[in-house]
Amino acid sequence: MAKLKKHFKVTSSRKNLSFQDMCLRLSEFWARQGCVIALPYDLEVGAGTMTPETFLRVLGPEPWRVAYLQPSRRPADGRYGDIQDVYLASLADLGIDLRHHDIRFEEDNWEAPTLGAWGIGWQVMLDGLEITQFTYFQQSGGVDLEPISVELTYGMERIAAFLQGVDNVYDVSWNDAVTYGEMRQEEERELSVYDFEAAAPETCRTLFELYEGEAERLLASYSLEVAERFPLRQVYDLTLKCSHLFNILDARGAISVTERVTLIGRVRKLACEVARVYLDRKSAMVEAQPA
Amino acid sequence: MKEPQALPLLVEIGCEEIPARFLDGARDDLGKALLAALEEAHLLPPQGRAGKWYSTPRRLTVWVPSVLERQADQVKETVGPPVRVAFDDAGNPTRAAESFAAKGNVPVRALVRVTTPKGEYLAVRKTQRGRQAIDLLAQIVPSVVTGLSFPKSMYWVAKAGPRFVRPIRWIVAVLGEGPKARVVPFALASVKSSDVTYGHRAYGQRPQRVRSFKEYQGKLRQARVEFDPQRRLATVRQKSNVLLEGGLKLVEDPWLERWIVNSTEWPTAICGGFDKRFLRLPREILITVMRDHQKYFAVEDRAGSLQPRFVALLNLDRDTRGLIRQGHERVLAARFADAEFFWDSDQKVPLAERAERLARVTFQAELGSYADKVERTRALAREICAALEGQGRLTPADTGHALRAVDLAKCDLTTQMVQEFTELQGIVGGLYAAAQGEASEVAEAIYDHYRPEGLEDRSPRSLVGAVASLADKLDSVAGGFAAGQEPTGSSDPFALRRQGNGIVKVLVEHSIQISIKPLVQSALNSLRLDWKKPLHEVFGAVVSFLEERLRFYLESAQKARYDTVRAVLAAGWDIPLDAVRRAEALEKLRGSDNFEALCAAAKRIKNILAKSATASDWAPGEVDRGLLDAGPERKLADAYERAANQVGQLNSAGEYRKALETIASLRPAVDKFFDKVLVMAEDRAVRQNRLRLLGKLDGLFSGIALFAEIATIPGHVDASTSPGSNE
Repeated sequence: MAKLKKHFKVTSSRKNLSFQDMCLRLSEFWARQGCVIALPYDLEVGAGTMTPETFLRVLGPEPWRVAYLQPSRRPADGRYGDIQDVYLASLADLGIDLRHHDIRFEEDNWEAPTLGAWGIGWQVMLDGLEITQFTYFQQSGGVDLEPISVELTYGMERIAAFLQGVDNVYDVSWNDAVTYGEMRQEEERELSVYDFEAAAPETCRTLFELYEGEAERLLASYSLEVAERFPLRQVYDLTLKCSHLFNILDARGAISVTERVTLIGRVRKLACEVARVYLDRKSAMVEAQPA
Repeated sequence: MKEPQALPLLVEIGCEEIPARFLDGARDDLGKALLAALEEAHLLPPQGRAGKWYSTPRRLTVWVPSVLERQADQVKETVGPPVRVAFDDAGNPTRAAESFAAKGNVPVRALVRVTTPKGEYLAVRKTQRGRQAIDLLAQIVPSVVTGLSFPKSMYWVAKAGPRFVRPIRWIVAVLGEGPKARVVPFALASVKSSDVTYGHRAYGQRPQRVRSFKEYQGKLRQARVEFDPQRRLATVRQKSNVLLEGGLKLVEDPWLERWIVNSTEWPTAICGGFDKRFLRLPREILITVMRDHQKYFAVEDRAGSLQPRFVALLNLDRDTRGLIRQGHERVLAARFADAEFFWDSDQKVPLAERAERLARVTFQAELGSYADKVERTRALAREICAALEGQGRLTPADTGHALRAVDLAKCDLTTQMVQEFTELQGIVGGLYAAAQGEASEVAEAIYDHYRPEGLEDRSPRSLVGAVASLADKLDSVAGGFAAGQEPTGSSDPFALRRQGNGIVKVLVEHSIQISIKPLVQSALNSLRLDWKKPLHEVFGAVVSFLEERLRFYLESAQKARYDTVRAVLAAGWDIPLDAVRRAEALEKLRGSDNFEALCAAAKRIKNILAKSATASDWAPGEVDRGLLDAGPERKLADAYERAANQVGQLNSAGEYRKALETIASLRPAVDKFFDKVLVMAEDRAVRQNRLRLLGKLDGLFSGIALFAEIATIPGHVDASTSPGSNE
């Protein structure tokens, strides 16, 4: 009962929960659940799933718990039972009382073709608003996963707009003094101008090929003898660069019908190679350890 | 031995939210499979093969009122050596008897004598005790649960773990009730079975102990779970309508009702509103946003005009503070504002100007862009229009409209509206075309060109729309086969069967009298791709696929008997409409005495001709009247001449029923002929002439339908196979 009262109090004062409060609160919540709180990855990623903390760590074999703001996620040991309940508790922690709001788990399966990754799960709806993608990963980098990880992607801006009762995300208060719009609107505009209008497709294509070539060159040099020193994460960064360049070309409308399929396939090939090398190196290191 | 008692069995599989679209199937499959497994294990009493199954998104429940507490005992008899070799003359057991007894693990004196048709034998008779239900159920229940299959399932522990539609979180398995109730012990994915269930997420997460079905019902309802989908459906209907004042009603939507029932445990209706200004958007768009994206019912008045209201179903007891209604209203307003923005901004670039953008929209990787598809579809539409103009069914102006519709039909794929609301493809195109001043025939044809999307869906309203729909589907089917995406078994990635059904349905419902094979040939000829198979093979595959679709249409939509369909298709179906008409006529005539008898005769004629063909001493040709005997033979020839003339005329007028009746009227002449005339006459010339006469009849009996394919009623067969062994 005491617990419920606390939530009630938060509900009534929810207008005071700023965007940054919300980020801090969620980070604290997941830290209490035993997650590593990682920092955002300093590279262009189309989705948080692409950061190495998720893409590589879900390959296992060790279970891994991490949360970070990029958005926030928590790949975890599948045997850990009620991840749904923990997730709902995190909403309660933000002041969303389940008895006064309609939370629904609607089927929505997730897929990232450039990463050879997919999973089964739901979009979580809060009074008709989609606020979270909830996925049980099944495959990543073309590898069947073992153990199965769960990823939660919170739509931070939407939740903040909901909690603060504003219709436009730019009106969300970041803290008491600054709005989300003041923080982000300018860069949103600039990036849009570049992606939709200003990007030079030929340059993007050339860059794509340079990054891809470098990644392939490194991959070709991999062998068990050099496994320990192999710059795997650099290869993965190059893969992410390719993925991002593909997204720019796509947004720019510069990709033809057949080219689209081919480009996705080329990025996926790199991602699958990275996953293969990661696991190969892991098992080699396990074998190398004295019994 | 006491008869085993009957006990109730309650099973509940508690899950994370099962997708609404799988729930009905999952529940029914589990119920049926469990009952079947109980039956197979001899655990159901003969009079009590009953069970009930229920579901919510978080649970699948099966209740079987009577399960035998153990299997009935069974007596097993093993027969050994004959008595005469088992005992010597003195009556002492021989080695044969002793070793048989030893094998059966009983003393010799326990052996019994049984009498078989081969004589008296020794046998071991053992009573096998029936196994306890609780032990058997501990294996049956988990294997039934993991044996269920779903369109899409998952792992949640690891690959070695079970696969299910969503993670299993608790299991109730209770045999018996009250103080004597026992948990059926097993584990699935490290979840142990128990007698504990859980209520609604928001109200009843505390464990609830249930020791009988009655207790289960009571405690779950207390914890805000209505586990019976029928009751939830009744609640949805009743609670929704109570909200609406006089004159207003929900826009009927059985699919949405089902979806809501399958995604709530405790449905409660609330009524919300939206700004009247959004009513300037077309009804189709408003309803799609509410239904497909927000799962709300739209509200209309008696005259059927949409009101600025909606009904949403919560999975809660009530909306205590109105916060939920406000939330839904805000989300809907934002969605409508998007749609309004798309509506206005899309129209700044008219459809006609969007055509060139189609070059960048993929149709299918191997089949090129939508611009390519439109070009191919246009050629097909032109061909169909030419045929219809020739028949006086379309004017050149109509053809113009059809081609314009084909040119614009796919342009809405480049609009933001369709990119956001993909299910509105075609419809949005039609609405934009109308708003942009295209001819109403063109707009309507664009609007309808994806239809029918199955045998239940309606065809395009106009013939112009039918042409656009046909050409589009023919191209998709031909392309799909050429790209190696033809349907196989349960896999049909491009829904080609549905498109094939659509082709047949449109041809029939718009009475389009056209040969299908030349169209298939044209459709294939205009494809540009790396052919994996020779073109003629793909052609053959598409043609037999369409024949299969036509067969399906005749059997499911027309409810024609399978042998009628076989007979009609065997007589040719290149003009599908014609085949359907012939099947209709044939179905009407089936069962009449003359007709059934004639079918038997037709079969007989086929047999005679088939045998004679191998004898090779005759060749089909004209009947020589000079060689005909006066009497039944000449009468048959005359009757044939008259009938053939009439049938020819009736067929070309499409009067198949009258044609069939005319043919059926030949029956007495045919019967008489077989009765009195020996076909296989000694004289070669006479014999050949008679065979030729039968050949003519065979032609007549095979033109509308292959009568020989009709399964005749035995009684009628006798009527025509009377004397004279002509076979």
